[in-house]
Amino acid sequence: MPDWREEIAGRLSSLKLDSSRENEIVEELSQHLEDRYNELVSGGARDEDARSAVLMELDYENLLAKGLLRTVSKMRPEPPLPGGGEHNSFASVWQDLRYALRQFQRNPGFALMAIITLALGIGASTAIFSVIDNVLLEPFPYKDAGQIVHPRVHGASQGPDEGRQGFSPDELLALTGQNHTFDSMIGTADDPVLYKHGAGVEWLSGADMTPGSFEFFGMPALYGRVLQPADYKSGAPPVFVLRFKTWKAHFNGDPSVLNKIFVLNGTARTLVGIMPPRFGWYDADVWIPRTPHPGISIGFAGLPQLWFILGRPKPGVSIAQASSDLTGILSRLAKLRPQDYPNRFQVFVIQIGNSGAGHFESALYTVLVAVALLLLIGCVNVANLMLARATSREKEFALRAVLGAGQGRLVRLLLVESLVLAIGGAALGVLIAWGGLKLIVAMIPPDSIPAESVIGLNAPVMAFTLALAILTPLFFGLAPALQAARRDLNNPLRDGGRGVVGGFRTARLRDAAVVIEVAVSLTLLIGAGLLMHSFLALRDVSLGLQPDHVFKTMLLLPPDRYKTAQQVSTFFRPVLARVKAIPGVVDAAESSSVPPNNSQDSKIEVSGKSPNEQWHAQLQNVDETYFRLLRIPFETGRGFTEDEVNDARKVAVVNRRFVSTYLSGEDPIGRQVKIAELKNVADSLREPSFEIVGVVDDVSNQGAPGYGRGGLEAPIEPQIWVPYTVSGSGERALIVRTSGTPMALMDEVQHVVWATDPGVALMYPDALDHMIGQRWYAGPRFALLLMIIFGCVGLILVTVGIYSVLAYTTAQKTHEIGIRMALGAERAIVLRLVILGGLRLVLAGVAVGLCASLLLGRAVESELWPGVKPYDPLTLASTVSLLLATGALACWIPARRAARVDPMVALRYE
Amino acid sequence: MTPDVEWKKVSAELLILSLVEARPRHGYEISKLIEQRSNGAVRFYVASLYPLLYRLEKRGWLQGRWVEKSGQRRRRYYRLTSEGQKVLASQRRGWQAFVEAVNRITEAEHA
Repeated sequence: MPDWREEIAGRLSSLKLDSSRENEIVEELSQHLEDRYNELVSGGARDEDARSAVLMELDYENLLAKGLLRTVSKMRPEPPLPGGGEHNSFASVWQDLRYALRQFQRNPGFALMAIITLALGIGASTAIFSVIDNVLLEPFPYKDAGQIVHPRVHGASQGPDEGRQGFSPDELLALTGQNHTFDSMIGTADDPVLYKHGAGVEWLSGADMTPGSFEFFGMPALYGRVLQPADYKSGAPPVFVLRFKTWKAHFNGDPSVLNKIFVLNGTARTLVGIMPPRFGWYDADVWIPRTPHPGISIGFAGLPQLWFILGRPKPGVSIAQASSDLTGILSRLAKLRPQDYPNRFQVFVIQIGNSGAGHFESALYTVLVAVALLLLIGCVNVANLMLARATSREKEFALRAVLGAGQGRLVRLLLVESLVLAIGGAALGVLIAWGGLKLIVAMIPPDSIPAESVIGLNAPVMAFTLALAILTPLFFGLAPALQAARRDLNNPLRDGGRGVVGGFRTARLRDAAVVIEVAVSLTLLIGAGLLMHSFLALRDVSLGLQPDHVFKTMLLLPPDRYKTAQQVSTFFRPVLARVKAIPGVVDAAESSSVPPNNSQDSKIEVSGKSPNEQWHAQLQNVDETYFRLLRIPFETGRGFTEDEVNDARKVAVVNRRFVSTYLSGEDPIGRQVKIAELKNVADSLREPSFEIVGVVDDVSNQGAPGYGRGGLEAPIEPQIWVPYTVSGSGERALIVRTSGTPMALMDEVQHVVWATDPGVALMYPDALDHMIGQRWYAGPRFALLLMIIFGCVGLILVTVGIYSVLAYTTAQKTHEIGIRMALGAERAIVLRLVILGGLRLVLAGVAVGLCASLLLGRAVESELWPGVKPYDPLTLASTVSLLLATGALACWIPARRAARVDPMVALRYE
Repeated sequence: MTPDVEWKKVSAELLILSLVEARPRHGYEISKLIEQRSNGAVRFYVASLYPLLYRLEKRGWLQGRWVEKSGQRRRRYYRLTSEGQKVLASQRRGWQAFVEAVNRITEAEHA
């Protein structure tokens, strides 16, 4: 007997029925044919004849296919929503997918344009999100990093980011031992390390770690082991742990250094472990075990050693509870040493990472908003392309509807096409993000992100990109899809496709898309313009010194041999003389710090004024050459003489801010200033009173932007300079003015230093203008550059968007234009018609964009230089002109093409 | 649609609806009954019968159900729905009026 099922299935295949329905029909019909065949055979017909008779009935006038097409294909249920449970939905989505791919193959220009547009948006978003994820959301690789907090002593009159984060050993021991709200608490202290290397010593950034620190972080060593409780017992052999990056840089990643002995700060220590790459706590090169003891301990450069504290609150303990617990403990200590605490203080408990990226955080979020806008422009652009294309596909949709596709089915098909585009865009976008990240990482200002952050495309970032790929089609695909499905699907089959292009509704949607695009792009450009204005304002701020052609380096003196002022000057006198003798060197000076970095803060008293608890100034120790070398001008009085410095006389120079703050309207020369801090250091002065001999112009001393205040927008603080020879304590820097390239001096300066004392190391050697560029300008420049890049990409996308819409509508109007020209319209009139049509949209977009920018302005205000307002007229005027010019260009090209139309060709045009 | 097509369509629907009025039947049975009762004058091939059944089902006049009887393969039986009954009644009236009208016209010529 013939296989009826196969015969029927073959005839149904072209109908593309839903498979379960098809199976039922095949079953039912094959039974019928079988019965009919049996009937014929039992009635005496030959097998052959019976078979052909049955098949003739099956194929009779092709009624089966026609009838089923009308009934069964319409009987099919609407396509189920994802997860609707229909078992064949995957198969039909697969069918849509293949269809979409074929569509794009047929029209690769459209697909490529859409994918590139989306890729720019998705790529930029991915890149910025990965910076944010790695820097702000999950910068630390430590155990339960989200739970780790650090305390800060905060006075009632201090700004929200101000306060003291360093704690004395007494405070550390009290907080650790007496708190009721923390599971564990550890301390870390700066401990610069001199490590013998070659002809002299090198400096490594060291960190002292209290017992339990490595258990706290919960990260095992990559090689060897971490510090253990036994390392803290008295008499235990001295050990240390090394950072991965330092191991690579100093020892070429040679594993044989493990368990070798190194002389660090004069102590022979065994290297017991090398940490994995992401462990970078305190940005240190080496971690050293140290148990804090009660009393004041002197650390680096004769200054009191202070501990930075980390803690992990007990489960269920709120930040407020932890904060009041610690405030209670320190309030008891404050009764013994009130001078260490501000008035009405509180201990803030802050999550780590919240302050890690500081100022950089808001810049990153600003940029994230910018890329989101970019992505929005990209989506609108693609939506526009799809709307235009949908119009030209009207006939196809109508045919599909006639063949039984419901509206839901059409919407799904178009959404699948959008999804394919978005996935293509995401794939290309990941490549763009990968390249862009390399650029961004190179541009990120130093010290603005935690040392532990590794910026790259990790799993959360890829999940973010995938989410974008799935969500963006809803933005750019849904409107065109609904639009296409809603249209009257019978008309296109009847007429020749001429007439009002795509219907008024589609035209309105396309116009709206252009208006949105222009508005968003203007917002982005205004943002970039405001940041540029801010940056120019920042560059205009006078530093009060001349930073070019200056080499600077901190010098790390072995603490055991440099305790007194005498010992320090015995080292510096010959070093300064030898450096001055190097060819090309103009001048050399000694200083305790390098501006615009801030100096040590000290409480002060001024003679003739009643003592005020709040009076303070930054204290800097310098030699007689310092002001001349940095070209800092004197307002009144004079600088130090060589004798005054050599004899360590108690004379002082102050800045203008000092005078205007504490001695307003009075003559400062000859006044005595008492500097309290000089009593606290290792070789304290019995009578730290200094006579003011000169006043200099204000020099920037706000410190680098980032933590708390700081940055050039902060006010300059009162400052006082004294001869560096008055105290053996304090940091030491060497500043050299040269006629050539500053960094070319590096080796010779190192040679001179080591020739004088091979135990002294150079720390942070750099050209002064380079350092300022990196630490003061790189942050704003980073945000500015990104905004300019994204602003330009946005502008290009908008240009393409306006152009493609106008080119499309103009092409569709060719017939109309031809008639007008045949009736005698001038080319100029046609040109004007098209350009005005486009500019109308651009102007509407500009109006919307201006309103949006003014509303959004408040959000970026914190990013702007204090003098620059969000409604800065210069910025608004220049960005609007730029956008209008670009818009006019985008309109002009299709307009010119329209004006060149040959009326005869246009009239034939279909 | 021409009047010719219209009445052919209505008559086909009427035939099927009336055949399942008494009890549910499967497609082959329906086609056999039409052939037998018309003495072979009216025939519904598989190609036209089933699309029509599905259409009536879609309109809600028939309801098809797979029925399994012991020892036999399952078959799809069509039952008249209550809505189908109303349609059948109205089509019958219409058909009778039509036939009567035709008869009156044709008989008048013979008279």
